[in-house]
Amino acid sequence: MINKKEIEKLAFLARLRLDDEERNNVPKELESILQYIQKLGDIDTEDVDPLFHFPELKNIVRKDEIREVERKMQKRMMRMGKDKDDYLKVEFTL
Amino acid sequence: MINTIKEAQEKLRNGEVSPGEVASGFLSKIKERNKETNALLSVFDKVTREIEETNKDLPLYGSVFAIKDNILVEGRRCTAGSKLLEHYTAPFDATVIKKIKEKGGVIIGKANMDEFAMGSSTENSAFGVTRNPHDPERVPGGSSGGCAAALAAEMCNAGLGTDTGGSIRQPSAFCGVVGFKPTYGTVSRHGAISMASSFDQVGPLANCVEDAQLIFDSIRGKDEKDSVTSELLRKEKKEKIKVGIPKECFVEGIDSGIKEALEEAIEKIKKEEGIEVVDISIPSIKYALPAYEIIMASEVSANMARFDGIRYGLEFERPAAKDLKEAYLINRGEGFGKEAKRRIILGTYALSAGYYDAYYIKAQKVRSVISEEFRKASSDVDVIFTPTTPTLPFKIGEKITDPLAMHLSDIFTVTANLAGLPAISLPCGEREGLPVGAQLLARRFQEENLFEAAKRFEAIWRK
Repeated sequence: MINKKEIEKLAFLARLRLDDEERNNVPKELESILQYIQKLGDIDTEDVDPLFHFPELKNIVRKDEIREVERKMQKRMMRMGKDKDDYLKVEFTL
Repeated sequence: MINTIKEAQEKLRNGEVSPGEVASGFLSKIKERNKETNALLSVFDKVTREIEETNKDLPLYGSVFAIKDNILVEGRRCTAGSKLLEHYTAPFDATVIKKIKEKGGVIIGKANMDEFAMGSSTENSAFGVTRNPHDPERVPGGSSGGCAAALAAEMCNAGLGTDTGGSIRQPSAFCGVVGFKPTYGTVSRHGAISMASSFDQVGPLANCVEDAQLIFDSIRGKDEKDSVTSELLRKEKKEKIKVGIPKECFVEGIDSGIKEALEEAIEKIKKEEGIEVVDISIPSIKYALPAYEIIMASEVSANMARFDGIRYGLEFERPAAKDLKEAYLINRGEGFGKEAKRRIILGTYALSAGYYDAYYIKAQKVRSVISEEFRKASSDVDVIFTPTTPTLPFKIGEKITDPLAMHLSDIFTVTANLAGLPAISLPCGEREGLPVGAQLLARRFQEENLFEAAKRFEAIWRK
């Protein structure tokens, strides 16, 4: 149903590099799940609307405004990367 | 073994035990059993002082929590069971953690889990398998397996987990504790690492229903940082408890031992005054797991996009990349485990042009059908009774190479997530010396009726 080549393309789109073992096994492993999913073809949903959210819940919105980040939180976030003169040093991205 | 928050609270308040004794009780269990079970990934050392400094009148006074490692605790490592976050330190408290601290709870450690909450056995953690305290050869369930195991091994008296398709309830059943998934929208997820956002809920694991309710009452409520939270709770005054049993749950895909144990449990409640048991039908329930698989994988593939190895840091050895695209491929390829990769690929497939309507939209329509059938079936009953799991806790390694068999562990739990319902798992008996869990579900926002029924049944099954 889903071949090795398709899996490789999907993995690339999802930015996942697979090793040789995974390239071999993932199609087989997904096969049984995909087959199981085909069951949904048996249920009639002709006049049914998809359920994207529950009727009782309304979105909470807040103002789009700049808020001060606590100094303590800033410091903690800095520790995640390599701190350089109050800037966060990350990998080269351009 | 009864090791409840209420008990600790009373004994601390009347001076029967000291904060130091409470803390050292749990710490000595951790010392004794954590090496074998690998329930906790990190253990905090200031528990005694924190209890000493807590106001005795607070509702969670005396509670000592193990927190699933996908919920942010300020200044502590938060790995979500993934190599990608091995060195990530939480810069703030999740809303639920803030509330727990404000209400007098203390935290003893962070609990192991399947990577990014994807799994039903806690075998998918980058930091090793967690073992079931009832039998170390068996899994504790998952993905909140660390919390459930820590409670069962008496390393704490409270736990906080997340439940996307059964991740609180299934391990609770496997470890013989109580696990509760609240109605979608009642508890804030701000600071809980997302898996599948239309299903995810934070909820308690506890040693009794009353404790689970106490924790739920302390963490629930609207939060502007989780845009779909609500204060809503509905209660209907009832003289009798009417229990509906969907016959579809007892015909296929369930082990005979579990079935027998549940039938015995049903017989026991039938004998009691004020409880009425009726048969109901939810014919489309067999489509719940396939619909869940598609929606969950789709949402996973979107939520996991943020883990690029750059934003949250990455500190393991890996090949050098020649450009940004290759850096992503390498970081994510080396960082994610097998199960996470499978689900991301499946979700990418389901959301691809040409498949979107056939898979994703179809699954969301099936979700409508199931939600409607539950509404109809529950309109005449107070709670619905089902198994929590189709099998007893399985052996470590037994299902890890067969993803479908593993996913079938969630067959009875995913429906609550699809329909947004509150659902609780509580111990109702034993088979082969292993715990069996019963699941109770109610209509959305009717947690109070659900807890009332669960407390009544718990008292009957504990006799």
